[in-house]
Amino acid sequence: ATMPVPVPVGVLRLPRGPDGCSRGFSPTSPRFQALLGGDAVAAQGARAALRQRYLRGLAAARGRPTRFCLRAGVQVDAVFGAADVEAVAFQVDALRTPLGVQAAALLRCADVLAYSFLL
Amino acid sequence: MNDWQRKSPLDWETYVNKMVKVAAIEKHEYEGWVLTVDPVSASVVLATFLENEKVSISVVLGHAVQEVEILKEGDDEMKQRLSCIFAPEESKAYSPEEEEKRKNALKTWLETNHIPVTEQGESGRTLCVAGVLTIDPPYGPEECSSSNEIILSRVQGLIQGYLEKQQ
Repeated sequence: ATMPVPVPVGVLRLPRGPDGCSRGFSPTSPRFQALLGGDAVAAQGARAALRQRYLRGLAAARGRPTRFCLRAGVQVDAVFGAADVEAVAFQVDALRTPLGVQAAALLRCADVLAYSFLL
Repeated sequence: MNDWQRKSPLDWETYVNKMVKVAAIEKHEYEGWVLTVDPVSASVVLATFLENEKVSISVVLGHAVQEVEILKEGDDEMKQRLSCIFAPEESKAYSPEEEEKRKNALKTWLETNHIPVTEQGESGRTLCVAGVLTIDPPYGPEECSSSNEIILSRVQGLIQGYLEKQQ
Protein backbone atom coordinates (compact mmCIF):
# COMPACT_ATOMS: atom_id res chain seq x y z
CA ALA A 1 0.00 0.00 0.00
CA THR A 2 1.29 3.51 -0.75
CA MET A 3 1.78 6.19 1.97
CA PRO A 4 -1.02 8.73 2.10
CA VAL A 5 0.10 12.18 0.97
CA PRO A 6 0.18 14.46 4.03
CA VAL A 7 -2.38 17.26 3.90
CA PRO A 8 -0.57 20.61 3.94
CA VAL A 9 -1.23 22.61 7.11
CA GLY A 10 -2.66 26.06 6.53
CA VAL A 11 -0.25 28.87 7.38
CA LEU A 12 -1.72 31.45 9.73
CA ARG A 13 -0.36 34.88 8.90
CA LEU A 14 -0.70 37.27 11.83
CA PRO A 15 -1.17 41.01 11.28
CA ARG A 16 1.92 43.20 11.57
CA GLY A 17 2.77 44.41 15.08
CA PRO A 18 2.76 48.11 16.04
CA ASP A 19 6.51 48.44 15.36
CA GLY A 20 5.97 47.54 11.72
CA CYS A 21 8.25 44.50 11.81
CA SER A 22 6.06 41.47 12.47
CA ARG A 23 9.05 39.40 13.57
CA GLY A 24 8.93 41.24 16.89
CA PHE A 25 12.24 42.73 17.93
CA SER A 26 13.59 45.29 15.49
CA PRO A 27 16.83 47.12 16.26
CA THR A 28 15.64 50.09 14.19
CA SER A 29 12.27 50.40 15.91
CA PRO A 30 11.54 53.71 17.69
CA ARG A 31 11.05 51.80 20.95
CA PHE A 32 14.53 50.25 20.88
CA GLN A 33 16.08 53.53 19.77
CA ALA A 34 14.47 55.26 22.76
CA LEU A 35 15.76 52.52 25.09
CA LEU A 36 19.35 52.97 23.99
CA GLY A 37 19.23 56.74 23.68
CA GLY A 38 20.39 58.78 20.72
CA ASP A 39 23.59 56.80 20.23
CA ALA A 40 21.80 53.52 19.53
CA VAL A 41 24.26 52.00 17.08
CA ALA A 42 27.39 52.98 18.98
CA ALA A 43 25.85 51.94 22.30
CA GLN A 44 24.89 48.53 20.93
CA GLY A 45 28.38 48.04 19.50
CA ALA A 46 29.93 48.90 22.86
CA ARG A 47 27.47 46.59 24.61
CA ALA A 48 28.36 43.68 22.33
CA ALA A 49 32.11 44.18 22.72
CA LEU A 50 31.86 44.44 26.52
CA ARG A 51 29.66 41.36 26.74
CA GLN A 52 31.94 39.31 24.51
CA ARG A 53 34.94 40.06 26.71
CA TYR A 54 32.91 39.19 29.79
CA LEU A 55 31.84 35.84 28.30
CA ARG A 56 35.45 35.03 27.44
CA GLY A 57 36.29 35.86 31.04
CA LEU A 58 33.67 33.38 32.26
CA ALA A 59 35.13 30.74 29.95
CA ALA A 60 38.58 31.42 31.40
CA ALA A 61 37.22 31.03 34.95
CA ARG A 62 35.77 27.58 34.27
CA GLY A 63 37.46 24.84 36.28
CA ARG A 64 39.62 27.23 38.30
CA PRO A 65 39.68 27.47 42.09
CA THR A 66 37.76 30.64 42.94
CA ARG A 67 37.23 32.63 46.12
CA PHE A 68 33.75 34.08 46.53
CA CYS A 69 33.14 37.08 48.81
CA LEU A 70 29.63 36.82 50.15
CA ARG A 71 27.76 39.22 52.43
CA ALA A 72 28.63 39.81 56.10
CA GLY A 73 32.31 39.07 55.54
CA VAL A 74 31.72 35.43 54.59
CA GLN A 75 34.25 33.98 52.13
CA VAL A 76 34.02 30.56 50.48
CA ASP A 77 36.30 28.70 48.10
CA ALA A 78 35.02 26.58 45.22
CA VAL A 79 35.79 25.55 41.67
CA PHE A 80 34.08 27.82 39.15
CA GLY A 81 31.48 25.95 37.07
CA ALA A 82 29.20 28.25 35.14
CA ALA A 83 27.12 31.43 35.17
CA ASP A 84 23.65 31.80 33.74
CA VAL A 85 22.51 34.31 31.11
CA GLU A 86 20.57 36.64 33.40
CA ALA A 87 23.17 36.80 36.20
CA VAL A 88 20.91 35.06 38.71
CA ALA A 89 23.29 32.40 40.00
CA PHE A 90 26.72 30.78 39.71
CA GLN A 91 27.18 27.04 39.58
CA VAL A 92 30.24 25.82 41.43
CA ASP A 93 31.89 22.49 42.18
CA ALA A 94 33.64 21.40 45.40
CA LEU A 95 32.23 24.24 47.53
CA ARG A 96 34.04 24.32 50.88
CA THR A 97 31.64 25.15 53.71
CA PRO A 98 31.99 24.85 57.51
CA LEU A 99 29.76 21.78 57.19
CA GLY A 100 32.00 20.08 54.66
CA VAL A 101 32.58 20.09 50.90
CA GLN A 102 29.50 20.24 48.66
CA ALA A 103 30.15 18.45 45.36
CA ALA A 104 28.02 20.92 43.41
CA ALA A 105 26.15 24.04 44.45
CA LEU A 106 24.47 27.21 43.25
CA LEU A 107 25.45 30.59 44.65
CA ARG A 108 22.91 33.36 44.15
CA CYS A 109 24.40 36.42 42.43
CA ALA A 110 22.53 38.63 44.89
CA ASP A 111 24.51 36.99 47.72
CA VAL A 112 27.89 37.35 45.98
CA LEU A 113 29.71 40.68 46.25
CA ALA A 114 32.83 39.66 44.32
CA TYR A 115 34.84 36.62 43.23
CA SER A 116 38.40 36.14 42.14
CA PHE A 117 40.65 33.50 40.56
CA LEU A 118 44.20 33.17 39.25
CA LEU A 119 45.09 32.75 35.59
CA MET B 1 19.40 49.16 40.74
CA ASN B 2 22.25 51.53 41.68
CA ASP B 3 23.81 54.42 39.74
CA TRP B 4 26.59 52.21 38.40
CA GLN B 5 24.09 49.69 36.98
CA ARG B 6 22.14 52.51 35.33
CA LYS B 7 25.06 53.73 33.22
CA SER B 8 25.04 53.25 29.46
CA PRO B 9 27.38 50.81 27.66
CA LEU B 10 29.30 53.77 26.21
CA ASP B 11 29.86 55.04 29.75
CA TRP B 12 31.11 51.65 30.98
CA GLU B 13 33.40 51.42 27.95
CA THR B 14 35.26 54.52 29.12
CA TYR B 15 36.54 52.55 32.13
CA VAL B 16 38.07 49.72 30.06
CA ASN B 17 41.89 49.60 30.02
CA LYS B 18 42.08 51.95 33.01
CA MET B 19 43.46 51.29 36.49
CA VAL B 20 40.58 51.87 38.89
CA LYS B 21 39.61 51.63 42.53
CA VAL B 22 36.18 50.07 43.06
CA ALA B 23 34.40 50.90 46.31
CA ALA B 24 31.88 48.17 47.06
CA ILE B 25 29.24 47.72 49.75
CA GLU B 26 30.28 46.51 53.23
CA LYS B 27 33.43 48.65 52.94
CA HIS B 28 35.20 46.38 50.42
CA GLU B 29 37.67 47.93 48.01
CA TYR B 30 39.18 46.46 44.86
CA GLU B 31 41.94 47.85 42.66
CA GLY B 32 43.01 46.68 39.22
CA TRP B 33 42.96 47.17 35.44
CA VAL B 34 39.45 47.08 33.99
CA LEU B 35 39.13 44.29 31.42
CA THR B 36 35.41 44.80 30.85
CA VAL B 37 32.07 45.66 32.42
CA ASP B 38 29.32 43.10 31.84
CA PRO B 39 26.37 45.00 30.30
CA VAL B 40 23.88 42.51 31.76
CA SER B 41 24.94 42.66 35.42
CA ALA B 42 27.22 45.75 35.35
CA SER B 43 29.90 43.57 36.98
CA VAL B 44 33.42 45.03 36.79
CA VAL B 45 36.17 42.60 35.75
CA LEU B 46 39.59 43.64 37.10
CA ALA B 47 43.06 42.24 36.38
CA THR B 48 46.02 42.49 38.75
CA PHE B 49 49.47 41.40 37.63
CA LEU B 50 51.34 39.40 40.29
CA GLU B 51 55.13 39.00 40.61
CA ASN B 52 55.20 35.37 39.47
CA GLU B 53 53.84 36.12 35.95
CA LYS B 54 50.36 35.13 37.13
CA VAL B 55 47.31 37.33 36.72
CA SER B 56 44.64 37.64 39.39
CA ILE B 57 41.15 38.29 38.04
CA SER B 58 38.53 39.84 40.34
CA VAL B 59 34.92 40.36 39.38
CA VAL B 60 32.89 42.83 41.45
CA LEU B 61 29.17 42.21 40.97
CA GLY B 62 27.28 45.24 39.64
CA HIS B 63 24.78 45.31 42.49
CA ALA B 64 27.65 45.64 44.98
CA VAL B 65 29.43 48.54 43.26
CA GLN B 66 29.17 51.91 45.01
CA GLU B 67 31.78 53.95 43.21
CA VAL B 68 34.46 53.44 40.56
CA GLU B 69 37.39 55.88 40.66
CA ILE B 70 39.80 56.06 37.72
CA LEU B 71 43.40 56.10 38.96
CA LYS B 72 45.28 56.06 35.66
CA GLU B 73 45.08 55.32 31.93
CA GLY B 74 46.68 52.25 30.40
CA ASP B 75 49.31 52.85 27.70
CA ASP B 76 49.31 50.93 24.39
CA GLU B 77 51.50 48.18 25.83
CA MET B 78 49.09 47.67 28.73
CA LYS B 79 46.07 47.67 26.39
CA GLN B 80 47.74 44.95 24.29
CA ARG B 81 48.57 42.95 27.42
CA LEU B 82 44.99 43.22 28.74
CA SER B 83 43.39 42.25 25.43
CA CYS B 84 45.41 39.01 25.41
CA ILE B 85 44.43 37.86 28.89
CA PHE B 86 41.30 35.95 27.92
CA ALA B 87 42.64 34.83 24.55
CA PRO B 88 42.41 31.06 23.97
CA GLU B 89 45.41 29.07 25.33
CA GLU B 90 46.69 27.84 21.98
CA SER B 91 47.42 31.30 20.63
CA LYS B 92 50.27 31.56 23.11
CA ALA B 93 52.08 28.81 21.18
CA TYR B 94 52.48 30.99 18.08
CA SER B 95 54.69 34.03 17.71
CA PRO B 96 53.10 37.19 16.31
CA GLU B 97 54.85 36.55 12.96
CA GLU B 98 53.62 32.96 12.76
CA GLU B 99 50.14 34.09 13.72
CA GLU B 100 50.17 36.73 10.97
CA LYS B 101 51.30 34.09 8.44
CA ARG B 102 48.51 31.71 9.46
CA LYS B 103 45.98 34.50 9.22
CA ASN B 104 47.11 35.59 5.74
CA ALA B 105 47.30 32.00 4.46
CA LEU B 106 43.75 31.28 5.64
CA LYS B 107 42.47 34.61 4.30
CA THR B 108 44.01 33.93 0.88
CA TRP B 109 42.58 30.40 0.79
CA LEU B 110 39.10 31.70 1.64
CA GLU B 111 39.31 34.39 -1.04
CA THR B 112 40.51 31.83 -3.61
CA ASN B 113 37.38 29.85 -2.81
CA HIS B 114 35.20 32.94 -3.36
CA ILE B 115 34.33 33.35 0.33
CA PRO B 116 34.18 37.04 1.33
CA VAL B 117 36.56 37.73 4.21
CA THR B 118 37.76 40.92 5.89
CA GLU B 119 40.02 41.77 8.80
CA GLN B 120 38.66 43.50 11.87
CA GLY B 121 39.11 44.16 15.54
CA GLU B 122 42.01 45.75 17.41
CA SER B 123 45.15 45.31 15.29
CA GLY B 124 43.17 43.42 12.63
CA ARG B 125 43.84 40.04 14.19
CA THR B 126 40.29 38.81 13.73
CA LEU B 127 38.96 37.55 10.38
CA CYS B 128 35.32 38.21 9.49
CA VAL B 129 33.68 35.84 7.03
CA ALA B 130 30.68 37.11 5.05
CA GLY B 131 29.97 39.58 7.84
CA VAL B 132 28.44 36.88 10.06
CA LEU B 133 31.28 34.73 11.38
CA THR B 134 34.53 35.72 13.07
CA ILE B 135 37.76 33.77 13.38
CA ASP B 136 40.24 34.64 16.13
CA PRO B 137 43.89 33.61 16.34
CA PRO B 138 45.22 30.93 15.87
CA TYR B 139 42.53 30.53 13.15
CA GLY B 140 41.38 26.96 13.77
CA PRO B 141 37.82 25.54 13.83
CA GLU B 142 37.63 26.17 17.60
CA GLU B 143 38.23 29.88 17.15
CA CYS B 144 35.19 30.44 14.92
CA SER B 145 32.16 32.26 16.33
CA SER B 146 28.84 33.05 14.74
CA SER B 147 25.22 33.44 15.75
CA ASN B 148 24.23 31.20 12.81
CA GLU B 149 24.82 27.53 13.65
CA ILE B 150 24.60 26.33 10.07
CA ILE B 151 27.19 28.75 8.75
CA LEU B 152 29.35 28.02 11.80
CA SER B 153 29.42 24.27 11.23
CA ARG B 154 30.02 24.68 7.46
CA VAL B 155 32.95 27.04 7.92
CA GLN B 156 34.40 24.90 10.73
CA GLY B 157 34.30 21.94 8.35
CA LEU B 158 35.99 23.95 5.59
CA ILE B 159 38.76 25.13 7.91
CA GLN B 160 39.24 21.62 9.30
CA GLY B 161 39.70 20.31 5.75
CA TYR B 162 42.03 23.18 4.88
CA LEU B 163 44.23 22.57 7.92
CA GLU B 164 44.38 18.82 7.25
CA LYS B 165 45.56 19.45 3.70
CA GLN B 166 48.31 21.72 5.10
CA GLN B 167 49.86 18.88 7.13
